[in-house]
Amino acid sequence: MSETRSVETTASDIEAAIELGLEKLGVSRESVIVEILEEPTRGLLGLGARQARIRLTTAAPPRPVPPIIQAAAITEPVEADDFEEEAEDEEAPASEVVMPTPASEDELDDDAQVGVATLQELLAKMHIDARVVVYRSTAEDNEEVPWVLQIQGRDLGVLIGRRGETLAALQYITRLIASRDLQRRANIVLDVEGYKTRREQMLQRLAHRMADQAVQLGRTVTLEPMPPYERRIVHLTLRDHPNVTTQSVGEGEHRKVTIVPRR
Amino acid sequence: MKELVEYIAMSLVDDPSQVKVTEITEGSSTTLELIVAPEDMGRVIGKNGRVANAIRTLVRVVAAKQGQRANLDIL
Repeated sequence: MSETRSVETTASDIEAAIELGLEKLGVSRESVIVEILEEPTRGLLGLGARQARIRLTTAAPPRPVPPIIQAAAITEPVEADDFEEEAEDEEAPASEVVMPTPASEDELDDDAQVGVATLQELLAKMHIDARVVVYRSTAEDNEEVPWVLQIQGRDLGVLIGRRGETLAALQYITRLIASRDLQRRANIVLDVEGYKTRREQMLQRLAHRMADQAVQLGRTVTLEPMPPYERRIVHLTLRDHPNVTTQSVGEGEHRKVTIVPRR
Repeated sequence: MKELVEYIAMSLVDDPSQVKVTEITEGSSTTLELIVAPEDMGRVIGKNGRVANAIRTLVRVVAAKQGQRANLDIL
């Protein structure tokens, strides 16, 4: 169903192996997941030296996101009915149903409106030509379901940045300004062309595959360094796994998830 | 770039009237200087410089589109 491709490469260090893999796939760093199959070791006097071995997997093609509110049209509060209508019309595949939750409280509409207005102002000042559509997140493990402000347009890779860094900065600033406006925490998250959703699905698949591998090999498997949000997805995915536990190791930018077989 | 920094700073401070941004371009490198009221410094810098760094990240996106390198100094 998803057109993912993957390659395995080896090189003297992990970065070099990634470069090699990206060249082979002909894609950019943002569109792949890196699995570290073997960490490089220097060995002693050239004995026992081992090359870095990694696997790159490309992202699945973007899944269409249901546009609920055209941001340009947000002039009055969103009615709960609008959401139910959309939900009924939606013909999503059974496995990944995106079901927007109807808005129940007026104050949630404030979050969405102030959030969109702030984001649009920021995008305009950044000279970025894009649309913003809003819908309710489908996150299950969250009692306070956030609004998703989905940014759509052409060539928006610059808004994602390396490892989602730019998207994280844009979300942080948007929330900060919106929260100040609302005088409370703005319950919003940002996404660009479904990047986070795609990334989340990729990470879940990766987590399961690496967990299988850890069990098969009977040893700890280490993933590449990831930002906190992505590590959290891996931890949550394997939280109830019967045969492995997960743990983050390393500091700051280098912090990565390890998957440990249960004994 | 200047308008972006101005908008963000003015939205975050208590005293927007004291926000001042100057843009100095030399060749392909641009330096933005942001001045806010002393009481508002914390708001535009943030814990561990988190706000300042996020602003820098966004400024660089705009700069890159114009083939520029940009830096932000908070004075």
